[in-house]
Amino acid sequence: MAGRTYGYNGVPPSKGKKGTKRYAMAVDLRRCTGCNACTAACKTAYDVPLGDWRIWVTEAETGEFPKTKRHVMPRMCNQCDQPTCVRNCPTKATFKHPDGFVLQRYNRCIGCRTCMVACPYNARHLLTDYRRDKRNPRNVADKCDFCIVRVTRGLAPLCVTSCTGGAMIFGDINDPDSEVSRVVSANKTFTLRPEQGNAPQVYYIGLTEPIADPEFAFHHRSEQLHDRYNTFKKNSELGEELAGNIIDTDTGFFGIVGQGVHNMINFFATAPAKFFRGLF
Amino acid sequence: MEGVPMDGQMIANAFHHAYWGFPLSIYFWLVGGSAGSFVVSTLGWVFGVKKYKSTAFFASNTAIAMLLIVPLILITDLGKPYRFFHLLMLPSFSHFSAPMIWGSLFILTYPIGMLFYSYFVYYKNERMARIFGIAAIVLALCTHWYTGVVMQLNPSRLPNHGSVAPILFLTGAYISGIGLLNILLWIRNRFVDAARQVSDAILGDMARLMLYGIVFDMFLLFNEFLQMTYGIGEEHTILYEVLLGPFRWPYLYIEIIWGLIIPLIILAIPQINRKRYWVLGASFMVTTGVFGMRVWWVMASQYFQGHF
Repeated sequence: MAGRTYGYNGVPPSKGKKGTKRYAMAVDLRRCTGCNACTAACKTAYDVPLGDWRIWVTEAETGEFPKTKRHVMPRMCNQCDQPTCVRNCPTKATFKHPDGFVLQRYNRCIGCRTCMVACPYNARHLLTDYRRDKRNPRNVADKCDFCIVRVTRGLAPLCVTSCTGGAMIFGDINDPDSEVSRVVSANKTFTLRPEQGNAPQVYYIGLTEPIADPEFAFHHRSEQLHDRYNTFKKNSELGEELAGNIIDTDTGFFGIVGQGVHNMINFFATAPAKFFRGLF
Repeated sequence: MEGVPMDGQMIANAFHHAYWGFPLSIYFWLVGGSAGSFVVSTLGWVFGVKKYKSTAFFASNTAIAMLLIVPLILITDLGKPYRFFHLLMLPSFSHFSAPMIWGSLFILTYPIGMLFYSYFVYYKNERMARIFGIAAIVLALCTHWYTGVVMQLNPSRLPNHGSVAPILFLTGAYISGIGLLNILLWIRNRFVDAARQVSDAILGDMARLMLYGIVFDMFLLFNEFLQMTYGIGEEHTILYEVLLGPFRWPYLYIEIIWGLIIPLIILAIPQINRKRYWVLGASFMVTTGVFGMRVWWVMASQYFQGHF
């Protein structure tokens, strides 16, 4: 795939190129306790709306009692070297920074959500109206940006600084002396869904199969998770932009038609606000 | 990866949304119906099948009317509706590797081509109608082809990510367009004088065209089904979703049984396949069946992946 360039000014992947920076992250899952400090820090700092995440922690359990094991995995944008979201964005709102970040320009984004459909990692979300500060961008796509505002000032991303177990390691992977390069070269690392061809740049150490597998995540939901999912979707007031939510408690003919009608009513009911918001 | 047995359960995850939903399904269905109607419209004036000339003007106008609703839905579905013009700012904003840009250009030019075609059909200008008919039919096919491509070029969305996707979309468009046109022509017959009415024989002929489309659609779906059964685990999950899971109604019952198999049987029986109400019934089933396809096609992969 050498020679493919993406996005704004056709920036090629910088990984392994001398004289360039390539920020990457290693997550040592053996040290992750699943405390969600990263989620809290990120959510607070970036005013991420309810129901959306820039970083979140997936948890799974395997084995039979008493021999059980808990697997945790922080998930975020993988800042891919071959990002499908950048390729599919129709307005160049999302682009690849020369230093490896995949970034979002809110003033260009039209909120068509193509990038979210293109992303294999569910790393993107739509900023809804439900933001603490109404001056913040709304109704456009957003994602984890490896805290570029901190990194360019010489600070580590918030999730890394808040990590209680020291599981997250961030740095320039092109610099052989950086901590992240040393950790990645000294350990066996895995990336999520490598078969998608996105060349993700978040390296996991000690990744276990169930938690990294979308199929497992779908078929092996705990009953509680399943209920919470349906309750959340049913009571979610985000229907205006997200008219595709389906809950599987009622999927007979009338169930599907009912959900479709409900979602379309939401869609039309919130349409005037979308057009005239802020004008009156 | 470390060898861990695959028994166990997920206990915490983010609840991701399906970002494209029913509005987009309706949009796909409308664009398809428009393209299908326009194909029928050009049969008489472009391809020289004289018996369809009487339907051309109405079919073309139907296609235009359906396509006029499309931008309204698309623009309303945007997070920032007033920024839709970003799609048309060439080349500073438009990103040509994104299929949505190709589609924006098609959706902009296709109705203009159809308007010219309708104009020349109305004034019976054979030559110009032919020229604009050819241009508009290419744009019609492109417009619907791109909707398939928009879904196709998402590598992680498994049932969509296959080269059969745009062809499936086009075939669905073709049959749903004819089906819808049949019903609309029958309704129109109630309001126009006898000289301008479309005969049952033509409705029957159009149903025959639809029959070929149904057979081809089933062939494509069978190919896709085969690929999914031999696929990786994620494809099996999609198969589970559409056969036993939440999308069994749109896929199995509405699209396959109601939208393809029953109409196929009706249109294959010589005693009834030219009778008015059987033809209309089959047309209605096909049109609604294709809507079922649009629903599961847009949402099934997002529903599955939303749990990851």
